[in-house]
Amino acid sequence: RFRFCGDLDCPDWVLAEISTLAKISSVKMKLLCAQVLKDILGEGIDYDKVGKLTADAKFGTCPLKSGDIKATVAVLSFILSSAAKHDVDSESLSSELQQLGLPKEHATGLCKSYEDKHSALQDKLRDTSLRLRRLDSVSWRVDYTLSSSELREVNEPLVHLKLQTQGAEPGSSDTTVVSISPDKFRVLLTELKQAQAMMNALQ
Amino acid sequence: MLLVLSEDHKEHLSFLTKTDGSGKNSLRLLRVEVVEEFGRIALDFLRKGTNPKIYEGAARKLCVPVEMVQHGVEGLMFLMTESSKHMISEVDFMDSVLALGFGEELNQSLLQLYVQHKHQVRSILSQLLCNQPAYHNLEWRLDVQLASRSVRHQIVPMVTIRLLLTRSSDVGSTKSCMDLQTDPISLLHMISTLEAALAAVKTSHARRILRNIK
Repeated sequence: RFRFCGDLDCPDWVLAEISTLAKISSVKMKLLCAQVLKDILGEGIDYDKVGKLTADAKFGTCPLKSGDIKATVAVLSFILSSAAKHDVDSESLSSELQQLGLPKEHATGLCKSYEDKHSALQDKLRDTSLRLRRLDSVSWRVDYTLSSSELREVNEPLVHLKLQTQGAEPGSSDTTVVSISPDKFRVLLTELKQAQAMMNALQ
Repeated sequence: MLLVLSEDHKEHLSFLTKTDGSGKNSLRLLRVEVVEEFGRIALDFLRKGTNPKIYEGAARKLCVPVEMVQHGVEGLMFLMTESSKHMISEVDFMDSVLALGFGEELNQSLLQLYVQHKHQVRSILSQLLCNQPAYHNLEWRLDVQLASRSVRHQIVPMVTIRLLLTRSSDVGSTKSCMDLQTDPISLLHMISTLEAALAAVKTSHARRILRNIK
C-alpha cells in the first residue's frame, strides 16, 4: 500500500520504530539522518555522534538501550534506501510517513535530507547492484616467436592477455591468462567492436 | 527429571567444599565466593574456551594442586551444560545438587548461577551443531539480452540470482555463494512451488502435529 515499500505493506517493525522516532526531537532526527546517509553512502557512521544524539532521548521512563539506538538507525536506513530504491519523490515520502504516524516536522526534515542526497543514493545503489565477476583490469603483451621445437622458423606474432576479475566472494580476485594467435585476435577484436557499437547505439 | 551425577563428578565438585583451616564463618564466606568465582570462570570457559593460566592462578591463591582446580571447574561446567541441556526445573536442580552434600548457601548460589545463565548456555550449545548451509541473503538482477555474437535483435529476459549462504561450525561461520540464472517462466514456477511449500504449514495435518509438539 505504500510506494516507498514498493507498493507492499509496511513491515511491522518499521511501524513500531516510527513511533519511537517520533520521541526524538526533529532537529536531532535530522542530524541522525545525516549520519545514516553517510553510512549508506559508504562513508562510515560515527557511532559516538549517534550515541550523543540519542543520549538524552528517553523512551517512556527508561533511557535508551543500545538495542533502541540500533533500531532507530535501522529504521532510518530502511526508509531512506527503500525510498531511493523505488524512486519515490520527497512529497510522496513525506505524506506516506505522516500517514504512518511520523510528526510533520520530522517527516519534512527527513525528506529534505533525502532530497538532497537522492541522486547520490541512487548512484551508490546502482554501483552495489549484483554484478557477476567484474573485470578489473586487462594487460597485454605482444611477442614474436622466432622458432620452436616443432618448426625451425616460425616468425609469428603472439598476443598474451591477462584479465583480472573480481571473484565470487567480495575482496577476492581471479586472474586469467590467455595467449591468442593473430587471426583469432583479429576476430575477437572485430566482434568486441561490434558489441561496443551496439552498446553505444543504446546509450 | 533429576540429574544423576557420577561418582567422579561428585568427587570433582567436592573440591568446592574443601576446608582450609580458619574460623567457621569466614570459611563459609570463602566457599560461597569461591563457588561464585568458579561459576564465573566456568561460564567464561563455556563461552570462549579454557585458559590454563587461570587454573594456575587460582591454584596458587587457594594452595591446592592445579588438577583439583581444573576438575572443580570442569565439574561445574558439566553440571551447567547437563542441567541446561535437559532444561530441568529449579526444584529438580536443587534435588540433584543436594546429592552432592553441599551446604544450603552453596546450593542456593549454584541455583542462582544456573537460573541466570541457563539461556546463554543453551544458545552456546545450540551453536555446536554442525548443520546445513543456511540462507543469508539473496541478490538479484533483471537483464534483457539484446544481441549475441550469432544473433542480433533478440529480446531474452533473464534473472540473475546470487544466493548467499552461511554455515556455522566450531571455528565460526563460513560464507558461500551460489550464482544462478533463470528465465522469468522458471522463476514464476519456483515462486509458486515455494508458496505451496509455505501453505503446507497451514494444512490440518501439519497443525495437528504442531499442536502435539507444543
